[in-house]
Amino acid sequence: MHGPISEVIQFIDLNAYTITFLFIVGFIGGLVSGFIGSGGAFVLTPGMMSLGVPGTVAVASNMCHKFPKALVGAIKRYKYGQVDIKLGLIMGLFAEIGVQVGIMLQKYILDKWGQAGSNLYVSVIFVLVLVIVGSFVMRDAIKMKRATDDTDTGTSLAKRLQQIELWPMLTFKTANLRISLWFLVPVAIATGMLAATIAVGGFIGVPGLMYIIGATSIVASASELVVAFVMGLGGTLIWAYYGMVDIRLVMIILAGSLFGVQLGAIGTTYVKDYMIKYVMATIMLIVAVSRFFAIPKYLNELHLISLADNLVGFMTKISFVIMCLALLIGASIILTSLFKARRLEKAVVANS
Amino acid sequence: MQNERVVSGKNQKDNSSIEDAPFTGRPKERPFILAVTRNGHMSEHVMDYAVNVAHRMQYGILAVHVDTLPFFKDMGKRSKLFAVAMRESAALLSEKARNKEVTVEHLAELGKIGSVVNRLCRSKKRIEFVVIDKGIRLEEVARQSPVPVFPVTTTPIGQFNRNIFNNSKRKGVFAMTTMSKKRHFKSCFLFGALTVGLYAAVFANQGVVMTYFTKGGLFALLPVATVFAVSYFHGNFTSSFWSALGIEASKQTTAKRVESGPQVTDAVTAPRPDTRPRAQLNA
Repeated sequence: MHGPISEVIQFIDLNAYTITFLFIVGFIGGLVSGFIGSGGAFVLTPGMMSLGVPGTVAVASNMCHKFPKALVGAIKRYKYGQVDIKLGLIMGLFAEIGVQVGIMLQKYILDKWGQAGSNLYVSVIFVLVLVIVGSFVMRDAIKMKRATDDTDTGTSLAKRLQQIELWPMLTFKTANLRISLWFLVPVAIATGMLAATIAVGGFIGVPGLMYIIGATSIVASASELVVAFVMGLGGTLIWAYYGMVDIRLVMIILAGSLFGVQLGAIGTTYVKDYMIKYVMATIMLIVAVSRFFAIPKYLNELHLISLADNLVGFMTKISFVIMCLALLIGASIILTSLFKARRLEKAVVANS
Repeated sequence: MQNERVVSGKNQKDNSSIEDAPFTGRPKERPFILAVTRNGHMSEHVMDYAVNVAHRMQYGILAVHVDTLPFFKDMGKRSKLFAVAMRESAALLSEKARNKEVTVEHLAELGKIGSVVNRLCRSKKRIEFVVIDKGIRLEEVARQSPVPVFPVTTTPIGQFNRNIFNNSKRKGVFAMTTMSKKRHFKSCFLFGALTVGLYAAVFANQGVVMTYFTKGGLFALLPVATVFAVSYFHGNFTSSFWSALGIEASKQTTAKRVESGPQVTDAVTAPRPDTRPRAQLNA
């Protein structure tokens, strides 16, 4: 991504279908991002590419729409007292390093195994990370739902790490925790690396903040928005430096996603803590399934297996549909629980 | 800190009936009831009570609005709302007082309620007793007041529901906004228009925009600046859009802070034991 851009980039012409598609996907993605901190953007890159946008422009425009969305979400959730700015900024800075490391790794793989190898690597990481982290988060969410006391107390690992006094110790007032920088840095770098690989760092960032650092899911998902802002801004400046950002696409997506992000942020004030984990885990697991269907295509390209072309094409389509489904299911869980909780609260107010 | 003073109700000349009283050493002042509130709007039942008693006993009313959070970090928004609410409240009280021919003076004060009451009782007028509005703790005022203090209790019927009271979770700002919904609509239209303008400007000039925005180099700042503008205008628009529709954060958990458990603070390093050698006397 740092090399000179030799080919002339073709920017697409907009039509009603493109605009509607981007607006709706933007809205749903924004809703999910506002609620779980990130994770709404992964459909957009393949989505834009399916509209005929060149890959690099799709990635650049996606990145460029992510940081204003994260900014608006972070401001909204800061008003609700959920954002730990210090935690987010420190995480964001180290995540930037992670992004650079991730890009270098990707380049190395691209040089060694070509485009198909790189795609295979991305898909395998996708499936591995999402299945492992997603099932862990899901188990925790179910455990929390069953427990009578629904307060988020953090894990024993986080508690143990917080006990270790290793200079420099950092105190985070809103997250209400004190931990050594040395435990925060790996989480941040992993977040950045994942963001560089699959475009959604939050799938490691938020669980990392919850289970390793010890923040509650509300604070973790809110602070992740700050991380996403820092990473997105850095990434956008680089992409825009190479002239890859299609501002029209960005603005259409933003038009929808800012509506969504506000609603998602409002949703967090109504639901119980486990709900954020639940939505996040659901989306992660469904996306993992979706990426699983994408793997045969790359294996085929690498001549590791041989499948019929129409079967591969069908599986690629299924993969994209499942990915959209993941977002839709996540969004519907958020909206249902938001409006249910609102009705309940109104009923309580009316009765009192 | 006195910063505003309004005299209304019956004219000051009406004091003549008392000032014309038989001369006993020094001119006799009209006694006053001190009605104190920390809310922008004084509760109507406090007003009614004060006006009725003042009317019966031929007292005047000194209505004091105390801004207890003058330096609230919202760039003066709260203070402004407070001043507006106070003017509304003062007008209402003056109206009530005029009907009963009672003299009313309005004061706006800043600071702690206890000390404001103490200072006023000692310096201002012949204050007979203090009536406090809800939101003020009786002990806080009673401790510092040289005269009796009465809270005005109310039944949850009628007026109570109409009154706006100060809820610590709502930080007083919202408690004073009487037209919040209208305001949401206003900002919804304002920012909506700005957003439409911005989008129209970009999409009407697609050709020019795409040429310059994709030039790269320093031109990279153009798309970044544009999306910042979008996030400001459109962000404010969407926020007020949902608010205008009545979809707002849960009131019960607006400040869903993580305050359970002891607050974590930076470790304080204990002073190291002094291990320097000392002269010892072996006698």
